[in-house]
Amino acid sequence: MIIYLTTILFLILLAPILLSYIKAVKMLLLFKRPISLLQGYRNFSKLIQKETIISEETSSITRYAPFLVLSPLIVIMFFLPPIVHGSFYVSFVDAFTITGLISLSTFFLMLLGLDSASAFGGMGSSRESFVSALVEPAMVLTIFSVSLMAGNLGIGQAGVNLAEHFPQEHMASFLFAGISFFILLVAENGRIPVDNPETHLELTMIHEAMILDLTGVYLAIIESASSIKFVIFASLFSSLFIPFGYELSAPLAVLVFILKLFFIATLVAFLEISTAKLRLFKIPNLLGLSIVFAFLSLITFYVLGA
Amino acid sequence: MFLFDTLSLTFVALIFFATIPNLFYSAGYLPHIDRKLHYLLHYFTFIFSMLGVVVSANALVFLFFWEIMSLSSWQLILTEPKEKNTINAAKFYFFMTHFGFIFLLLFFLIVTNGDLEISFAQMKIIASNFAYPTMLFFFLILGFLSKAGAVPLHVWLPYAHPAAPSPVSALMSGVMLKVALYGMFRFLFDVLYPWPLEWGIFILIIGSITSLVGILYAMSEHDIKALLANSSIENIGIILIAFAMGMIFDALQMHTLSTFAFIAALFHIFNHMGFKSLLFMGAGAILHQTHTKEIEKYGGLIKSMPITAFTFLFAAISITALPPSNGFLSEWMIFQSMLSSSNITNDMSLKLTIPFAIFALAMTGGLAIATFVKAYGISFLGLHRSTNAKHAHEVNFLMKTGMILMALYVTSLMLFTPKFLYYFDALFVSLGMPSVYADIFPQNIFSMHSIGVHGGVVSPLILLGALVGITLLLLFSYKALGVKERFYHTWSCGYKTSAQTQYTATGFSGVMRRFFTWLYQPQEHFIKQNLAGHTTKFSDANYTIHIKPLFERSLYENTKKLTNIISYWVYRLAHFEQTRYAAMIFNILLMVLFSYRIFAHGFSWATFVLEFLVMMISVKILIIGDKK
Repeated sequence: MIIYLTTILFLILLAPILLSYIKAVKMLLLFKRPISLLQGYRNFSKLIQKETIISEETSSITRYAPFLVLSPLIVIMFFLPPIVHGSFYVSFVDAFTITGLISLSTFFLMLLGLDSASAFGGMGSSRESFVSALVEPAMVLTIFSVSLMAGNLGIGQAGVNLAEHFPQEHMASFLFAGISFFILLVAENGRIPVDNPETHLELTMIHEAMILDLTGVYLAIIESASSIKFVIFASLFSSLFIPFGYELSAPLAVLVFILKLFFIATLVAFLEISTAKLRLFKIPNLLGLSIVFAFLSLITFYVLGA
Repeated sequence: MFLFDTLSLTFVALIFFATIPNLFYSAGYLPHIDRKLHYLLHYFTFIFSMLGVVVSANALVFLFFWEIMSLSSWQLILTEPKEKNTINAAKFYFFMTHFGFIFLLLFFLIVTNGDLEISFAQMKIIASNFAYPTMLFFFLILGFLSKAGAVPLHVWLPYAHPAAPSPVSALMSGVMLKVALYGMFRFLFDVLYPWPLEWGIFILIIGSITSLVGILYAMSEHDIKALLANSSIENIGIILIAFAMGMIFDALQMHTLSTFAFIAALFHIFNHMGFKSLLFMGAGAILHQTHTKEIEKYGGLIKSMPITAFTFLFAAISITALPPSNGFLSEWMIFQSMLSSSNITNDMSLKLTIPFAIFALAMTGGLAIATFVKAYGISFLGLHRSTNAKHAHEVNFLMKTGMILMALYVTSLMLFTPKFLYYFDALFVSLGMPSVYADIFPQNIFSMHSIGVHGGVVSPLILLGALVGITLLLLFSYKALGVKERFYHTWSCGYKTSAQTQYTATGFSGVMRRFFTWLYQPQEHFIKQNLAGHTTKFSDANYTIHIKPLFERSLYENTKKLTNIISYWVYRLAHFEQTRYAAMIFNILLMVLFSYRIFAHGFSWATFVLEFLVMMISVKILIIGDKK
């Protein structure tokens, strides 16, 4: 139980570092002086100390939505697969609950965008609703396929099952599902081919547009929500699709897990540096690719058993 | 004459749950209806006829109450007959409901051998001896699904439901559609029981298409009640998917899975009744304050109508299947029963088909979020988009009571899910299916297990507790932080923040509209007033989009055209001179002779072409004659 709670706390603390790391890697590759890994914490503490400006046009939704954006994501943290052998984990919560909780968080984020009566907020919400509507089917199909291979629909148990008996015979469908999930990771977290988290240009913004009117603590909450979301997806990816290291002794297992997270972050950083942001109407092509891979994975599993 | 078995009583309970809040709401709504007596008379007739339909024990009583239900709801649509649209909607509704009625009548005439007063058990004997059960099935689903609004028989629904006064829209969407589904439950179980696999697959396809089409049109709709009506179509699709999964599993002899899917369908029926009634009540409250159905004219209503806004938000969360709402639980069950398709062992093609239905259902879920963010965000959030919205205030006490009662019903569905599922399980046990309650809640009532898929579990109460707990914790820590707050206008690039700077509903769904252009084929109307001497600067501009549903455009209007052509020729036929009739008889004689020759002496192309030419010439010269 102590390991379980420590893991959650540890992942929450790791979240800002991961996002700063992505940014630092990108800057390094662009021959800029990279930011410190602790930049996320610095931003957070600065935002917390600032006074919060609340728009006169908003309603009580703005007062409560930031908390409702963050809290489903924190709830998900309790359901992630374990990283250390022998630690307590919630085995049974299935993937629909997790996607549902992510949707709940997005739902309130979209309402937040519409509440401030600015054109940017509405634009962001509209685009986000478009992207998340297309993400949903790919997510469900990918998870269905993985759960078939793991022999369990509960995310925690699936992670453990995959780590203990890796389905060698289903390598093909496993790979397809992995590709599909990686695209979803990129899309859901608003990384570059789908959304650019660093610009404030109305042509490209999705996530940033919704929160343009937030300041201070509210902004800090939303920023931590987006970093926690990345950690959730990264640790899901590492537990379900890079399932090794779980069997090792505790300190080593944690080390391997952290390395896997940083590996995923590096992958995302390389992807960001090597591709341009897609036009909004090209995004369905990318997500369609993810849907196709999810289908392929299922069909390979059923027909070929591979 | 009347029958009170578990299935009937379940739907009686559904009608009561829907009616009690609705009566309060209706009482509050009454001062705004001009023809009060007309309204009340039909309102109560409507409720009693629905009760009559679900408790009737033979075909005659069933059809009688069914027809009363159709007619009273038709009159209720005409409560405010001033608008031309209302009259057209009522006409359309009247036509479609009787279109379905014809098929029901055909079904009953066949399965009762003409004696409409025999019981369902006797009908089953006649039906099982009938040579073409699939024909009976098609009559049945044409009859019931045209009422329930499944694609392609759904086009009337977004016109008819919004035209009625809001309490009636709530009843029509919440209950009348479910009464049609009751008919499907009743007669598929009691009369047509052993189903071939194909029937289930057919319903699965219909359900998937219905849910996608419904939500896509809901997304593009700007009339709030039409949006909700389209979303009803979507939910009927979802229920049909669950129903079809039940039928498929039953045909494959997987009975526990089948019960699970049917329970999911019934649970979604109860859920949809709750949140859709609540949404229609909320829409009615707004409509009543702002005197418009146009979503673009709302905005900022959460400030003046808090109770409506919060019940609407609650219903919106539930209908978009976000955890831990009851909508999520029923959709979770439907997903689980679809995932159980991996247990099918002998039918690979079916196994590969069901993921496409999963895709449709998941896509529907994603689009539903977009739709209800739009419906809620544009109507309730931001600034007032019109003076009407500015002067809106909270509705009267009775209407509020109605909404709160319905919200309590939805909450109870969420909190007491095990209890509801227990009764649904008992219902299917009474229909001769195995009990699965003990498998859904094996240890305690806190965790819901799925059947067939290993490890699909959700724990609604724990989830709710965790969400509320963590949110409160965050809120308290925010309070404890003692943050300094300042109030200032939203930044809008240096311009003055006004209602014009906000995103509109048209803009919000613009991305979707562009992506689904092939489906919507929108008609754009763009009028702008250029400033003198400028080509790009303009003083004011008006951009509206009109979308006519594809099915209406293609299927219905072409059917109308075809009927017109046929009736024109029938008319011509009836107004010929006598010589022409003689000529027609001569032609028919020729045709008979020629066809006799073909049948008697075999077919050869040369003589066929010759004879065809002779026929055509004689038709042209003798019957059609000169063009005048």
